[in-house]
Amino acid sequence: MPDIFGSAASGKLDAETLRRFLAQCPGSCEGSFVRFVGVKAVAQAARLPEREAMCALLDAGFWPERFRRSRSVLSAEGLKRLLRSRVLIAGCGGLGGHAAALLARSGVGAFVLCDPDAFEESNLNRQMFCTEGTLGRAKAEAAREGLLGMASYLDVEARVVTVDGENLPGLLAGCSAVVDGLDSVPKKLMLEEAAARAGLPFVHGSVNREEGFAFIEEAGGRRLAGMWPDAKERAEEGDRAFLESPDTVASSAAGVACLMASLLVKALACGEVRDSALLHLDCSVPELARFEF
Amino acid sequence: MSVLVKLSTTLRDCVPGYDPVAGMEVDIAAHGELSAEALAAVIGIPRSEIKIVMVNGRQSALSTVVRDGDRVAYFPAVGGG
Repeated sequence: MPDIFGSAASGKLDAETLRRFLAQCPGSCEGSFVRFVGVKAVAQAARLPEREAMCALLDAGFWPERFRRSRSVLSAEGLKRLLRSRVLIAGCGGLGGHAAALLARSGVGAFVLCDPDAFEESNLNRQMFCTEGTLGRAKAEAAREGLLGMASYLDVEARVVTVDGENLPGLLAGCSAVVDGLDSVPKKLMLEEAAARAGLPFVHGSVNREEGFAFIEEAGGRRLAGMWPDAKERAEEGDRAFLESPDTVASSAAGVACLMASLLVKALACGEVRDSALLHLDCSVPELARFEF
Repeated sequence: MSVLVKLSTTLRDCVPGYDPVAGMEVDIAAHGELSAEALAAVIGIPRSEIKIVMVNGRQSALSTVVRDGDRVAYFPAVGGG
C-alpha cells in the first residue's frame, strides 16, 4: 500500500493526492466514481474510518460508486451529512427493520438498534430482517448483521433492550434523530418525550392492518402527544386498542417505513428538520393522504 | 346534503360492504345539526372504537359539527410497529 498521505489523517486530503493515490490502486475507480476497494484503500492509508474516507473523497470531487445512482438526488454535502448521522431505531420489527435498511442504503452511517425481542414465525409476513434463518435470534442483532451485509463500513450498535425513560438518555447520546418503530401508542408517546428531552428530531410511524401513519417533527416536538391526548390514561384503564399490537402486513409496514425514511433522509441531508404533515398510507386502495394535526 | 365518510382499518368491520376506494356518501339532510360523533352513530360505529377524527384533512374533536360536502375520516388506535 503506497503511503502518500503522511500526516494527512489529521487534515484534509486534497484532490490531487487522492487522484495519484487511487491511480496506484488498480480497479479502484472509474472516472470520479470510487469503488469500495478504493474507499477501503484510502481509509487504511489515511487511518480513517471508511465513512470518513468517503467524506474526504466527496470533498475532493469524487463520488462513492455504491451511491452512483443516488447522485442526481443527493449533493456531496448531503451525502456527507448522511454518512455522519447516527440514528436510533427503536423497535427492529416491521417498521424499524425496513426503515433501518432504507436509511443505510441511503447513506446514513451509524445506527443504534434497540429491540428486546427475538424473531418469531409470525414476523415472517412483514419484518425486514426476519427470515427462516433468523428465527429465534434477537431482532437487534439480526438487524445489525443485515445492515453490515449491505454496508460493512456502518457503525452499528445492537442493544437487546426495552427502551424506556431511564435508558433512553444514554442510548440517545451522540444520535442525530430517533425513529419510532415501537408497537403501541403509549410506548411511542414515551419515546417522543425522550426524543424531545434529548433535543432530537423524531420520526413517527405506526401501522394497523393495511394502513399506517408517518410524520417527522423538529427537535422538542410533542405532536404525537397532541394527536393522542388521552391514550396514556386510556391504556392505564385497560383500553385494549392502546395496548395490543394490531394485525399488520408487509405492504403497510414497508410502505410506512419508506415514508419515514424519506422524511428523515431529506431532513438529514439538508441539515434542517421541519415538521411534516401527518401522512396516512392506505395500501388497501392504495392511496396517500396528508392531514394537519 | 351529504358528507363523504372514510373509515380506517378495524372500523370497516362495523359497516359490512364498506368500499375503501369510494368511501361512504352519507345523506345528512334528515338529521339537522350533526356532530362527527352523532354521524358515527348514524353509520353504526361505536364511539369507543373511534380514536381520531379528521374533518376536511384536519384533526378535529368528535363534537365538531359536520356540514354539507365535508370529508370525515374516522380512525381507531394506530399503534403497530
